Amino acid sequence: MKPLNLIALLLFFGGAVWALTRLDPAVRDIQAAYYSAISPFLKSGSALETKARSFLSETHHSKELEVKLQLVESQLGRLELIEGRFRDLERENAQLRHALKFEEATKFDVVAARIARRQPTTWWQTVEIDRGGLAKIGPQLPVLSNEGLVGKVDLVRDDRSSVILLTDEKCQVSAKVEGTPEVGILSGQRGKFEGTPMLRLRFLSKDAAFHTGQRVFTTGRGGLFPANILLGTVESVEKGSLDSEASVRPAVNFADLGTVFVVLSAGD
Amino acid sequence: MIRYTFITLLLVLAAFVLQQFLPAFTGLHNARILIVQLVFLCAAVTVGTPTMLLLAFVCGFLWDAQCGLGPAGGDPEIYSQPVESLRFGYSILLFGGMGYLMQGIQPLFREGKWQFSALLTGIAVFLYLSAEYAIITFVRGELILTRATVFQVIITSLLTMMFSPFVFWLLFKISSLCQHTIRFDGIKHKTRYN
Repeated sequence: MKPLNLIALLLFFGGAVWALTRLDPAVRDIQAAYYSAISPFLKSGSALETKARSFLSETHHSKELEVKLQLVESQLGRLELIEGRFRDLERENAQLRHALKFEEATKFDVVAARIARRQPTTWWQTVEIDRGGLAKIGPQLPVLSNEGLVGKVDLVRDDRSSVILLTDEKCQVSAKVEGTPEVGILSGQRGKFEGTPMLRLRFLSKDAAFHTGQRVFTTGRGGLFPANILLGTVESVEKGSLDSEASVRPAVNFADLGTVFVVLSAGD
Repeated sequence: MIRYTFITLLLVLAAFVLQQFLPAFTGLHNARILIVQLVFLCAAVTVGTPTMLLLAFVCGFLWDAQCGLGPAGGDPEIYSQPVESLRFGYSILLFGGMGYLMQGIQPLFREGKWQFSALLTGIAVFLYLSAEYAIITFVRGELILTRATVFQVIITSLLTMMFSPFVFWLLFKISSLCQHTIRFDGIKHKTRYN
């Protein structure tokens, strides 16, 4: 090997070792510097992308829109009926709460955000949302949709944030099964894209007994997620010699995420 | 030579910006075009070892800055078994390995047979993704290899390889602009009789 190549190789390994020994805060600083450096390009690129999307949406065939309108009208009628029933129940619920002097239901302080980019990395299950530090979003905040828990905020920039989805194994959630004393840790599994990605509910007791369709909620323990947010439903249970593990179908349709809500605070 | 190296470095940086706008093809098992890896691989075969290692370091460092996930967070009493994630900087070594692989057939490239290098970019991307997935699996301590993952790796490699002639064309243009020779079409193997 030529001396110059050997020196270059040694420098390369030195640099690699230096990078590999960086701690989390230093890595976060590097990531922040990287994204602030490329943010002008990302902003102009996003503007172009938005223009292209609006142009494409305008070229939708009118027939297609007509069919959609009919479908929406029929859905509207159905929803009006449901809403009427919902209002009755709400009234009845308010009366009962008043009678029982219940505390007002917990309210979340949330920021609505749209999914700007799906699956920006090869292996990690993440999405990017179009809100960031300027909207008071911070790391580790829970992200919800109207169906249930979506995940948690990972990296925050000024106008964008990345969200680790519940389907990634890095997003662990303390979970409980409805109607049982069972509590475990729920997480996804990377590399499983076939069909609906399933979640794993681990560290359950070895005699855990529940049936398919039972709902799984957050416990509120662990300091990351508020309590009683729907996570999914039990699909199957696998019993081991020391503990049991349940397979859980997520409540959220991750392939169809549009608008999500970042919980800034869980209220009083 | 210096001008060519500098422009190649800029090309790699431009690939990082472009990569941000290349979505995953959800209908093709979330396969994607890995433009950063492609530009690096094509450039690696046109430069010397020190420059290749410099490019590998820059690519690996920035790739991990772009794709790395943050700490898990939460109460350690509840989340007592946090998921181990890959260390920042592991991609530097993967890029270095891929670069050396590409340099292995540099003599063929210098003879003008760039088609072999184009084919090797696909193989290198396949090996890169396989190695990355193997590391993830090793860190996780549980082997899960679904058919979808295999398809994702293969389709990503093929899609990326399809664009390699364009990147080589771009590099040839840059080298001629910089008056730097990266290909010696006229070179023939000398025999003992001539």
